[in-house]
Amino acid sequence: MSEGSTPQGKHPTHSVAPALRSLVPVLVVLTLIALVPLLSPSNRFLSLAISAGINVIALYGLSVLFGQTGILSMGHAALVGVGAYTAAILARDFGVGFWLALPVAALTSAVFAMIVGIPSLRVGGHHFVIMTFAFGQLLAIVLTNGGDYTGAATGLDMVGPVNLFGADMGDLTRYYLMVVAFVAVAAVASWAIINSSYGRTLRAIRENEKLAASLGINVGRHKIGAFVVSGVFAGISGVLLANFLGHISPTQFASFPSIYLALMVMIGGARLITGPLAGGILVAFLPEVLNLDPVQSRIVYGVCLIAVILLLPDGLIAGIAAFVRKVFTAKSKERQRQENGVVSNPSEARR
Amino acid sequence: MRAVDIFIQQILNGLSIASVITLIAVGVTLIFGLTGIINFAHGEFLMIGGIVTWLAVSAGLSFPLAVVLAILAVGLMGYVLERGIFRFTLERPTNGFIVSLGLIVVLQHVVVLFWNPNQKSIPRPLTTVWDVGGVRIASVRVMVILITVAVVALSFRMITTSRYGRALRASVEDRDTAALMGIPVRRYITGVFVLGSALAGLGGALLIALFPITPFIGGTMVMKGFAVALIGGLGNIYGAVAAGLILGIVEGFSAGYGFSQWTDAYSFVLMILVLLFRPHGLFGGTSGPRMAS
Repeated sequence: MSEGSTPQGKHPTHSVAPALRSLVPVLVVLTLIALVPLLSPSNRFLSLAISAGINVIALYGLSVLFGQTGILSMGHAALVGVGAYTAAILARDFGVGFWLALPVAALTSAVFAMIVGIPSLRVGGHHFVIMTFAFGQLLAIVLTNGGDYTGAATGLDMVGPVNLFGADMGDLTRYYLMVVAFVAVAAVASWAIINSSYGRTLRAIRENEKLAASLGINVGRHKIGAFVVSGVFAGISGVLLANFLGHISPTQFASFPSIYLALMVMIGGARLITGPLAGGILVAFLPEVLNLDPVQSRIVYGVCLIAVILLLPDGLIAGIAAFVRKVFTAKSKERQRQENGVVSNPSEARR
Repeated sequence: MRAVDIFIQQILNGLSIASVITLIAVGVTLIFGLTGIINFAHGEFLMIGGIVTWLAVSAGLSFPLAVVLAILAVGLMGYVLERGIFRFTLERPTNGFIVSLGLIVVLQHVVVLFWNPNQKSIPRPLTTVWDVGGVRIASVRVMVILITVAVVALSFRMITTSRYGRALRASVEDRDTAALMGIPVRRYITGVFVLGSALAGLGGALLIALFPITPFIGGTMVMKGFAVALIGGLGNIYGAVAAGLILGIVEGFSAGYGFSQWTDAYSFVLMILVLLFRPHGLFGGTSGPRMAS
């Protein structure tokens, strides 16, 4: 929810209740998704849903960065990769389990984001995007040339099961439910950031960097901060990914996966709390629904992305919402006119 | 072979790689530097140029004819995409950039869909290898270098001294005033985009004459192109050529002396350093696109 639709800017003290409303659809959808195992879905469905969910967690980080702060990163998959490799190396060398790996990987990805962010954010605008792209490619090259430590081009195997209160999470249904829970946490965290004063600061930077700076906002530090926050989301997503796939390799985290992440967040709409969820699910399940092979589905994504940017720059969900609102207001206006006895004029009713 | 011979050999190999990189970089430096369009699909334009050459040669056409076809095809593609898509993103360059990411995905997979994802190669158009005092010089590499030198020199002259070049630079300097002087600025943007695309088409044709290519070659090539364009200074053809030479020779040496797995990293590291410490490039540029804003 960007400015205007919620009164947070004007009444900061009363902002929680109306802002909470924006979280409701996401939680309802997630509750429904969590009930899906009751219908005994196929393993294929569960695997697809798990990968979609893992992406969505990373996307919530990207939405804070791109949707709120207006910084586009083409290296987000690299941050996911840092998390995944951290989990795999910790498990291999120190026998560290899933739950300890989570905070460590989140921290590593955040630190990596800071290391990349501090120099990259010094260069403005478009150059920043190119920098993140370059850092993403560099990471893939470093991982490929890392010898036995990073497993070179073949990558690393993930060892050790995931346990929660003694229950083995290796079972697909349980892992599915766990990922759904993580998605819910990510959504709530991103909602909390968006509706905090910190979120407002980030949006101020997005709307007008110079003005924000003249109001005493430390633009540079907040941009790096947003980048670090996105790194935390990415790191957690990486740990889940490594444990789910059981094997990771450098190509999964180069720049093209980053492009797909950016594509998902933009198709869904980066500024809405429903956007990342919608984008991740759409991109994962559209090929299944339309029965497309991977090559065809990528062409469809590309075309969708171009169409969304040119026609619905705020993303699909916002576009649909705007369309629905337009249709409704047009109808109600027309009804009003008819009640008032005015002959409806189609060209005016459309307004 | 003596050490000196190997050294000269590596310089030559480096120069031929540098040629292809320079062709992309000149395209990027013109399009990004002068019109403000960030087209990351430029590498895919190069790939399409290579694929068209491969198709034409496989169909029995001669290599020179295939090169001309590649240039025309990619130039036409550039025209269609600029008129159909990028034109609408001129006011918001970030949107243009995102759209180009979509184009990357589409172009790559359309090629994969029709002509499978495997490597494609053509028989070398020139097979002669000259032996000059122990140094083996493949004529195909010399051909690539000479064509690039000629084409880049021509573009340079067009941009710097011709009437059109002056009008173009006027449009970059001050778009509104240029428009008031009767310069059709929008048409110049299209023109620059088509010229850059055609250069990418040529680059692709020359690349496939040197190495086999896959539909996924564009990603690394475009990064090198942007790296060279930014190192040389945006909009600065001379800078792009100089930076392209440096990078090509560094890569040639590193491959020749056993560090081939790191070749792709140099351009990224070099670009990151230049952006940090000399954001206008080593040789000075337009300090970022202005025409579109």
